[in-house]
Amino acid sequence: MTAILAVDALSVRYETPDGVVNAVNDVSLEIAAGECIGVVGESGAGKSQAFLAVMGLLAPNAKVSGGAKLRGRELLGTDPRALRELRGAELAMIFQDPMTSLAPHIKVGDQIAETLVVHKRTSWRDARAQALKLLEQVQVTDAARRLTQYPHELSGGMRQRVMIAIALACDPVMLIADEPTTALDVSVQAQILSLLKRLMRERGMALALITHDLGVVAGLADHVTVLYAGRVVEAGTVRRLLKQPAHPYTAALLRSMPRIDASVSEPLVAIRGQPPSPRELVGGCPFHPRCDLAQPRCAEERPTLRSTAGAMVACHFPIAASHGDLS
Amino acid sequence: MLRYALQRISGVIPTLFVIITASFFVIRLAPGGPFDEEQTLPPEIKANLEAAYGLDQPLLVQYGRYMRGLLAGDFGPSFKFKDFSVTELIAQGLPISLTIGLAAVFVAVLIGVPLGALAALRRNSASDYGIMGFAVLGIALPSFVIGPLFALIFGLYLGVLPVAGYETGQPKYLILPVVTLALPVIAYIARLTRGSLLEVLRSNFVRTARAKGLSPLRVLFRHALRPALLPVVSYLGPATAFVVTGSLVIESVFGLPGTGRYLVQGAINRDYTLVMGMIVVYGAITLLSNLIADLLYGWLDPRVRYD
Repeated sequence: MTAILAVDALSVRYETPDGVVNAVNDVSLEIAAGECIGVVGESGAGKSQAFLAVMGLLAPNAKVSGGAKLRGRELLGTDPRALRELRGAELAMIFQDPMTSLAPHIKVGDQIAETLVVHKRTSWRDARAQALKLLEQVQVTDAARRLTQYPHELSGGMRQRVMIAIALACDPVMLIADEPTTALDVSVQAQILSLLKRLMRERGMALALITHDLGVVAGLADHVTVLYAGRVVEAGTVRRLLKQPAHPYTAALLRSMPRIDASVSEPLVAIRGQPPSPRELVGGCPFHPRCDLAQPRCAEERPTLRSTAGAMVACHFPIAASHGDLS
Repeated sequence: MLRYALQRISGVIPTLFVIITASFFVIRLAPGGPFDEEQTLPPEIKANLEAAYGLDQPLLVQYGRYMRGLLAGDFGPSFKFKDFSVTELIAQGLPISLTIGLAAVFVAVLIGVPLGALAALRRNSASDYGIMGFAVLGIALPSFVIGPLFALIFGLYLGVLPVAGYETGQPKYLILPVVTLALPVIAYIARLTRGSLLEVLRSNFVRTARAKGLSPLRVLFRHALRPALLPVVSYLGPATAFVVTGSLVIESVFGLPGTGRYLVQGAINRDYTLVMGMIVVYGAITLLSNLIADLLYGWLDPRVRYD
């Protein structure tokens, strides 16, 4: 399989007056053409940071190392001008908060058209005509009227659709969606997700879906990468990972999710403790202070990501497939 | 936008009416009158004078008479500058005050906004510290210090500009007053622009603009600058009014025959009509500059127009 996006040993760190913050540590992942990868983790696990680094959108004080190749072209550390030509054209991103992610003073149609004008040198007139088609594709009702409206005249779901239309304008090969539904109502969430699914299929576009919601991942993703404390702890196909999680963290995450088919009396199991702050360095496995299966070795030696029985997992004592059944 | 504009404009006339009415009665509350001087006039002469100016009438009658005159564009006679009507006095001085005031605001925006933007873009660099240091000085130093200092340097030592005075059609007399007047406004605008641009540059929609692959210049000018100018515009309304009407110090330092002195002299002399005339004019200027700021605000931020 040829990877559309290959992230290799990516690390992001900040040197602050209060010490070094390690936001992302040695993250590698690959996304194939037309594939959807779910990137899962708690708040502060480094999901957004990793992909903002790929986009070159981190704050100037971020120190990024490692590599990220889009169709074989290195993105990190390249000439900003060359990166800008890819950004918004071949590689697009949508964000968590549609309420504040659109420029308040520019008409919706022009915000979509601008991408085309800048990247494809389309005339404004043609770009606006295309913007109308894009709005229709992302199922915005009354699209012609929306073109001349300002973002504050649109609902949150509509605005996220506009964000998607902006991202899709230049037909990207890779779309990064950073918690695209977190700020939306549940019913709107489902609409946006099925829209993303359809657009992916129609366009053969790869999708990186950053989320803390395993339910979202289950519905959309082919592969999943689980991040904990800025590191990949487990990766694999969505089927295997949801059925037979190999890392105790993944298993705990699944147990902590409400299930529609569980009996009402069954309590939800929370993961004890707090995820480590990226400022502190936990020795050994970063998850060991919260892990029910931890052994002395877990506190001393950091497990590396390795392949065991069809799963990529960073754990000294992965849950074996035989008793990986969630009971 | 049209409805928003009409709404704003329709608010101006009633406000001006309230200002005029309130001022008319408040001035009369101050003890003394225009004809009370160190050497007391014989009561008959004083009574005659008051009758001649209508001051013997009940206050409400005087008010009605004044308002009628105002509607016809007549500010009445000055009590102290005996050969002049208030209209004539204002017509002489106002062009000068307006010119230096508006020029100062214009210069201040033209210099202050780019300086502030530069400081924001080069945050924590030498140029940022330099600009902000200058801004603190500009705000802290009063114009009666800077004015004479400029007159000393450019007028006496360098001899390139006149120290003071005014001759019609000679703009070189206005340069120092305009610069002195503009300096604190430049400083304030630079600080406002810097702060608000820094905030906007961190906002989500600027991140979206960058994610679209736009060039830094396009991100700055098309996406960030307009929202960042909102605080500057809301400051500009009162600031313009203040600079145009509050140039009294500058006018005395540089010996300019503007209107600033009339307000002070008029108030001390109880020159009711002159003070009222100045209040009407300054009130109108204040309302007008705030109106323009409001309209600009609506243009900058579409969300404002619909409230």
